[in-house]
Amino acid sequence: MRFRSLLMAAGALALASAVLPAQGEAQEPIRVAALYALTGGMSSLDGPSLKGAELHVDQINEAGGVLGRPLELVVFDTRTDQQVTATAAQEAVSSGVVAGFGQSDTTFVMAAAPTFQEAQIPFVTSGATHPMLPTWVGDFMFMAAFGDDDQSYAIADYAYDSLGHRRVYVWTDNSMDFTRALTAFFKERFEERGGEIIDEDFFMMGDTDFSAQIARLEAVDPPPDAVFISAIPSEAGLTVRQIREAGIEMDIISGDGFDTELVASVPGPELANNVYFSTHTYLADDRPEVQEFIDAYTEKFGHAPENSFAPLGYDAIGLIANAIERAGSDDPIAIRDALAETRDYPAVTGTISYTRENMVPPKPVSIVSVQSAKFAVEEIWRPE
Amino acid sequence: MKLQRHHLAWGLLIAGGLALAAAGEAMLSGYERTVLGFAGIYAMLAISLSFSNGLTGLFSLGHPAFMMVGGYVAAILTFPANRKGFMLPALPEWMASWQWPLFPATLAGGVAAALLAVVAGFPVLRLRGHYLAVATLGLIIILRVVINNADGLTRGALGLNGIPRHTDLWWILGWLALCLLVCWRLKYSSVGRSLLAIRENEMAAACMGVPRARAKLAAFTLGAFFAGVGGALWAHLLTNLTPGSFNIALAFMLVVMVVIGGSGSLIGAGVAAIAITFLSEALRPLEQAMGAYGLVQIVIALLLIAMLLLRPQGLFGSAEPAFLRPSTAEHRAARPLSQAEEREV
Amino acid sequence: MSGGYLLQQVLNGLVLGSFYALVAVGFSMIYGIVRLINFAHGDVVMVGAFAAFGILLVYGLPLWAAVLAVMTLGAILAMLIDLVAFRPQRGAPQVNGFITSLGVSILMQNLGILLLSGQPRPFNLPGWLRSNLELAGARVTVLELVTIVVTLLVLLGLTLFVRGTRLGIAMRATAENPAAAQLMGIKVNRAIATAFALGGALAALAGLLWAGRAGQIHPLMGFVPGLKAFVAAVIGGVGSLVGAVLGGYLLGFAEVLFVGLLPPAYGSYRDAFVFGLLILILLILPNGLLGRAAEERA
Repeated sequence: MRFRSLLMAAGALALASAVLPAQGEAQEPIRVAALYALTGGMSSLDGPSLKGAELHVDQINEAGGVLGRPLELVVFDTRTDQQVTATAAQEAVSSGVVAGFGQSDTTFVMAAAPTFQEAQIPFVTSGATHPMLPTWVGDFMFMAAFGDDDQSYAIADYAYDSLGHRRVYVWTDNSMDFTRALTAFFKERFEERGGEIIDEDFFMMGDTDFSAQIARLEAVDPPPDAVFISAIPSEAGLTVRQIREAGIEMDIISGDGFDTELVASVPGPELANNVYFSTHTYLADDRPEVQEFIDAYTEKFGHAPENSFAPLGYDAIGLIANAIERAGSDDPIAIRDALAETRDYPAVTGTISYTRENMVPPKPVSIVSVQSAKFAVEEIWRPE
Repeated sequence: MKLQRHHLAWGLLIAGGLALAAAGEAMLSGYERTVLGFAGIYAMLAISLSFSNGLTGLFSLGHPAFMMVGGYVAAILTFPANRKGFMLPALPEWMASWQWPLFPATLAGGVAAALLAVVAGFPVLRLRGHYLAVATLGLIIILRVVINNADGLTRGALGLNGIPRHTDLWWILGWLALCLLVCWRLKYSSVGRSLLAIRENEMAAACMGVPRARAKLAAFTLGAFFAGVGGALWAHLLTNLTPGSFNIALAFMLVVMVVIGGSGSLIGAGVAAIAITFLSEALRPLEQAMGAYGLVQIVIALLLIAMLLLRPQGLFGSAEPAFLRPSTAEHRAARPLSQAEEREV
Repeated sequence: MSGGYLLQQVLNGLVLGSFYALVAVGFSMIYGIVRLINFAHGDVVMVGAFAAFGILLVYGLPLWAAVLAVMTLGAILAMLIDLVAFRPQRGAPQVNGFITSLGVSILMQNLGILLLSGQPRPFNLPGWLRSNLELAGARVTVLELVTIVVTLLVLLGLTLFVRGTRLGIAMRATAENPAAAQLMGIKVNRAIATAFALGGALAALAGLLWAGRAGQIHPLMGFVPGLKAFVAAVIGGVGSLVGAVLGGYLLGFAEVLFVGLLPPAYGSYRDAFVFGLLILILLILPNGLLGRAAEERA
C-alpha cells in the first residue's frame, strides 16, 4: 500500500517538476530530521529540546533562512523506544534530509546515530553526554553538550573543594548507561582527589519506592557528608523528596539528570534543600545570547525554558545551520566537514569548538544548587 | 502426487513471497525494507507463539526472554573480531577471535534459546494458565537483570551496537517459511492433534494416553527456538541490542497478534502480525502531522477492542484458510497414493 | 545489622506490601467473579492519583471529601470498564478478556498522554500526613501508618462483607457458579457490578496513597502497579481475596528485604531475586498460596 502511494507521489512530483518553472529550486527548503522522544520516560528532556529547536528554526527563517532557503524540520517521535528510534532513523535517512539531530540519552543515540553514519549524513545529539559517542559511532557523529567526564569531574571537584565533602555514599540507576557512566567518572575523580566512596546502592529507572536504600543510608555510621545520586529526571525528584522526608539532611549531589523542575517541585519548598548538581550552562550566564534565548522562548511558548535541554535543542540545530552556511552547500558530506571545523560557535549553552581529538566539545559546566525549591547557579567550571 | 488445489495455493504463496523479497531488495529504501523486515519477523514470532500457546493452550509470555538469548548469542558470535576483544573483555580468548556469518549464528541463537526452554520448561510447564504466565514473565525479568549485570559479556546497559546489518528480506523470508512449514506439518500430524487434545481437555487427553509433559515441552521448545531466531534476525536488522530491547510490552503485543489471528491458527497469527505492523507504521505520519502523540496506540487499542467484540474467535479461529488445506475428498483420495509412493522410496 | 535497622526494613516492606495488597485484592475480586484478568486495573490506580491531584490541588477540597470522591470515581470507572470491555466478553475464552482489558489499558494510558501530557507532575497530600513518627526506633510517616491500617481494615471489612451481607454472599455465589446463582434468583449483573465497584474504589484509593507517598504522578504510572497486582494475585492464588493480600505483602517484603538485607552490590539483582522467589513458590504450590486447583469450566 505504502509502495503504491509512494509511486504515485513520485509520479506526481516528476510531472509537477517538469511542468512548473524552475524557480521552484531557490525556494526548496533544506530539510533536517529531528528525532525526539515526545512520549515516554525521556519526554521531559526531549520535549523542551524540540521546542528550543523549533524556536531557532523560526528565527532563522525570519532572517532569510539558510543559504537563502527556508529551513524545515522533519520531526519523528521516537517514544523512548529503541526499535521506534532505530526505525525512525532509517526513515529519516531515506527521506532526503541533509542532517539529523536529537535525543538526550546515550542509549537512544546509539539506536539512531549509526544509521546516519552509514548513510554518511551528520547527526548532532543535543543532549547525550557520553564522551565515547563520537569514537563509537564515527566521524559523522557530533555532540552539542559536554561529556560526562567533564561534568562528573566538575561536580566531584565542587563537592570536595567548595562543599568540603570527604565521605560520600553513591546511589546509581543501574538500568541506564548514562547514569552508570556518570557514577564511574564521579567515583574516579572523587577518589583521585582523596575522597572516600563509602558504598554504592542501586535502583532502576521506574522505581518509585526508595525506602530500602534510605534505611541503609540512615544506618551508616558515622553519617556520610553527602549522597551522590546518579539518576534521570523521573527519579530525581522522587529520591530527593523521600530522602528529605525521612529526615536525612545531608547534601545530595548529582549530574545533569537532576536538571529538571521536578527536583524542586516534587519535594516542595520545605524539603528541596541542599541539592547540588552539574549541568549545561545557561542560567546566570551573562552572555547576551542567553538572555535573548530565554526571552524569545518565553514569548513563543508562554513560559520560561523548562530545563537546560531546551537551549541544547536550540544549539543543536544552530550548529547545523551554521555549518551549512560555512559549507556553502547542502551536501551532507560538506556539512559534516564544516561541522568538524566548528570553532567558537556562540551557543546558548556555552561556546562550542571541536578541538579535542575525541570530538567532545570542551564546554563550561554550571554547578546549580537548590534551596527552598529555588535554583541558583553557584559556580561555572570552565574546561582547560 | 496429483496436483491439488492446496498445492497450487502454497506454490502461489511461496512464489509471492519470493517476488516480494526480490522486489523489496531491489526497489525499496532502507527504511521500507526495515518495516517490511519487521513485519516478517513479527509474523514468524506470532506463528511460533501461536504454535506453542494457541495450539497447546499454554499461556506463555516468555517469547521475549528467548529472543534475548537468541539475539545476544548471535550478535556476540557475529561481532567483528577486531573490536570484540576489548568490547567484551569477559569473553574467553578463543571466542573473541570468532566472527561467524549470519546463518550459523542465527542457528546458534535459536539452539541456545531452545536449550533455555528445555531447562526452564521442566519446572515451569507444570503450571497452568495465569500461573504459567507469571512464571514466564519472571523469565523475562530474570534474564534482563542477568544480561544487564554481565557487563564483560554483554556490555550491560549500553548494549551491543554496530552489529553487522546482515539481515535482509531473503533471510527473513527463508526463516519465516521454515517456521511456517515446520509448525504446519506438526500441527497436521499426530503431534499437533495431541497438543489440541491437551488444550481442549487435559484430563481427557491424559486418559487417552497423550504424553502431556513431553508434548508441552516440545511445543514450548519449538516456539522458543523460533523466538531465538527472531531475536537474532532482529538484532541484525536493527544493528543494536540492549537488555531492554525485548520487554513485557512486546510479550503482550505478540499475544495480541495470536489472539487476533485466532488462537491456534498459524496463518491467522502471521496475517495479524503483518497487518498490525503495517498499520502502526501507516498511522505514524498522521500522528506526526496532527502533533497528537499517542494517537497510533489509541487507534490500535480501539481496533483491538472492536475486533474482539465483533469476532471473538479471531480472524481464523483455530482453523487455517480453506484454500491452503487439502479438501476432505482430495485428502481421502490422496492418502493411499502417498503411502504407495512412500513404499516406492 | 542492628535491630533498629531490621525493624525499619520490615516496616518498609509492610508499607509497600500494603499498597500492592490494596490493588491486588480488587484485582482478585474481579477475577474471582468474572474469571477475567482486568489489565486496566492498574490504570484505575492512575486515574485515582490524577483525580486526587485535581480535587485536592485544583479544587482545594478537604482531604476526607477528596478520598470519598476519588473512591466513588474509581468505582464508577471500574463499572464502566466492566460494561464496555468485560460484559460483551463473558463466555468468550479467558485470554480474550485479558486482551480486551489490555486494549482498555492502552487506551487509558494514551488518552492520559494526549490530554494530560506525559510529563511527571508533583503531588502532595496535606503536610500532617507526611510528618514522621517514631515507632520502637524505626521511622514511619503518618501516611504510611494510615496505609497499613487502611489495608488491614479493608481486608477485615471485605471478609465481613463477603461472608455476612446478602450482596456479599450473592457475589460469592456468582463467583462459584453464575448459572446456578441466576437460577436461585440472584441478580448476577448486580453482583458483578458490585465486585467491579469495590475493586475500582480500592484501586483509586491506592492511587491516592501511592502518589501521596511517592510525590509524583504521570499517565503511565499505572502499568507497574497493575503488573504487580497481577503477580501478587497469582502468587496468592487467583480468585482468593486473602491470598491476594498475602501475595501483595509477600511481594512488598521481597522487594524491600532483598535490597535491604543483602549487601548493596546485590541491589541491582533485586528483580531477579524477587521473581526467582515467586517462581520457587509456584513450583512448590502450583496454584499459588491459597488457590484451589483450577476448576474446569464446563
